[in-house]
Amino acid sequence: MAVAATPTSAPAVEAVALRKSFGPIHAVDGIDLALPPGRIYGLLGPNGSGKTTLIRLFTGLASATSGTVRVLGVAMPSRSNLARVGYMTQADGIYPELSVWENLRFFAALYGQTDRAAMIKSLELVDLAGRLGTPAQDLSGGMRRRLSMACALVHNPAVIFLDEPTVGVDPALRVQFWEHFHRLAAAGATLLVSSHVMDEADRCDELLFIRDGRVLAQGTTAELRERAATDNLETAFLKFAGDSAPGRPGDATVASAASAKETLR
Amino acid sequence: MNRRRVAAVFVRIVAQFRRDPRTLALLFAAPIAIIALLGWVLSSSGTTTAHVAIVNASGNPAGDAIDLKLTAALQSQPRVEIAGDVHNAATARQMLIDKQLDLVVTVPADFTVQNRKIELTTLGLNPAGEAGVIPAIQQALMGAVAQQAGAGLPTIERSTVYGSPNATQLDTLAPVVVGFFVYFFVFILTGVSFLRERMGGTLERLMATPVSRAEIVLGYSLGFGFFATLQIALVLAFVIGRFDIPSLGPVPTFAIGLGVTTVGSPLIAYLLVLVLGIGAVSLGIFISTFARSEFQILQFIPIVIVPQGLLGGFFWPIDQLPSLLQPVARILPVTYAIDGLRQVMIAGADLTSSAVLLDLGVLAAIAAVFVVLAAATIRREVA
Repeated sequence: MAVAATPTSAPAVEAVALRKSFGPIHAVDGIDLALPPGRIYGLLGPNGSGKTTLIRLFTGLASATSGTVRVLGVAMPSRSNLARVGYMTQADGIYPELSVWENLRFFAALYGQTDRAAMIKSLELVDLAGRLGTPAQDLSGGMRRRLSMACALVHNPAVIFLDEPTVGVDPALRVQFWEHFHRLAAAGATLLVSSHVMDEADRCDELLFIRDGRVLAQGTTAELRERAATDNLETAFLKFAGDSAPGRPGDATVASAASAKETLR
Repeated sequence: MNRRRVAAVFVRIVAQFRRDPRTLALLFAAPIAIIALLGWVLSSSGTTTAHVAIVNASGNPAGDAIDLKLTAALQSQPRVEIAGDVHNAATARQMLIDKQLDLVVTVPADFTVQNRKIELTTLGLNPAGEAGVIPAIQQALMGAVAQQAGAGLPTIERSTVYGSPNATQLDTLAPVVVGFFVYFFVFILTGVSFLRERMGGTLERLMATPVSRAEIVLGYSLGFGFFATLQIALVLAFVIGRFDIPSLGPVPTFAIGLGVTTVGSPLIAYLLVLVLGIGAVSLGIFISTFARSEFQILQFIPIVIVPQGLLGGFFWPIDQLPSLLQPVARILPVTYAIDGLRQVMIAGADLTSSAVLLDLGVLAAIAAVFVVLAAATIRREVA
């Protein structure tokens, strides 16, 4: 379980030959990853490509059919390790009847965060510190999203999984979110952000193109653009998707690449 | 097991209730309203006047004498009115059908001092309603017949081991109603709460924190146990207590509370209902796995709640159920809660009573089974 290498080189998130099957469907179909800490990783792929399942495997919410997952050197699922992990789900996952403060206090208590100043700070970062008493159901959609993020980050986690955090978020707020993510990464946190919106990809330090439960390509945006010989990441994704497709018999390359493009929009 | 996390779940449930006044009202006002209605219905049944005719078909002195005695006995009864001008069986029969009479007492043609048989006839359309009229009249008639026969018949006096022979239906029903309400409300509210937890994505999030399934179930039990405690206290106070309001202007006197006589400790009654309620919390969590909407939770009422109401000894003793249903009744938690509540509130049993201990033990065992099931289903949904 111990990681032999120095802390800086030990991967924050690690997957080895990871598979997750639901009957005949392989949602995650053999993924190997080793993500060094302190960076923002973009998990890009069309709907149903296995992004959420991968994140659930990392957070221990799903158990792998085969292969292993390690987060901060600890094999998942591990309940105690979750105190160092933040997870923002696609759904807001907050209690509509409860006020902003009650929601935050609840998740803080579950994560073992007792520092009131840190709790207030996590609300300040999402600009909700002035609305402590407002019931979550009276907040706007964007505010609920921000509260959801504050609840995921209230315990200053070292590894943060964000499942499509910017869906339904207006452009101005989206910019704020990404600034926040970069601050967290600069402070040493490792972020894995899933998205199916390509124009967010440029904001990540490194990208993982994922489709049909496999990693098509991994690298910085510059590297991926260079390898695909295009400035357009969407074109790059489709090129990698097309390159990998012949290896799978019975897969209609053109049609599936087109449907991938469809869902990426 | 981390106390802070359990407390967080508990505090959250209390806060959610506090912000949902309608559910709070349902929790406290609804059982009071329904029990008050039940009390009202039960206490006024039998206050109607029974119309009775005595038909003397004997035509002999013994018959005439008993006719007089019966008439006198019935006249002394409250809420009985005697129709004096009915002289033959056919007329009386027609009057029963026309609902002019509720009961016909016939002194048959072969009535003699040796053959003292008299007949009672009712319409038979509503046996439960007619039954209310008969016992008092029957008692009066027995008295009259015995008097006529001299020392030939013993007089009959009713007594009961527990309670009093004058105990109303309400006195015996009220204790069990308390338990049933708690079971019903706790089940429905936990089922819906936990369903929202599953559907709203908050359960997914909970499972991504260090909280354990046991801590969630315990926190839920504490939260709902807290409200169940308030509910039990209020309902018990309403059932046992009685506060008379004097008449004021046009408002006639009325009473708040049913004033049901109880001999046992309300604390032990509370303990029984609480253990029942903890089982209901876990049952609600368990059932929420099988529902996709609040409406589907309601669909479990006829499956889970109604059979317990019918078989749990609420209306009929378990021994009188068809033999096939008896084993079913004996695995239902409400059966043991009702038995325990009757033991405590009517028979005055305490914790030294083996019957009460058995009821508590079985309730605890059933609750434990459902706690395990609930914890298991929390995992299944998420993994």
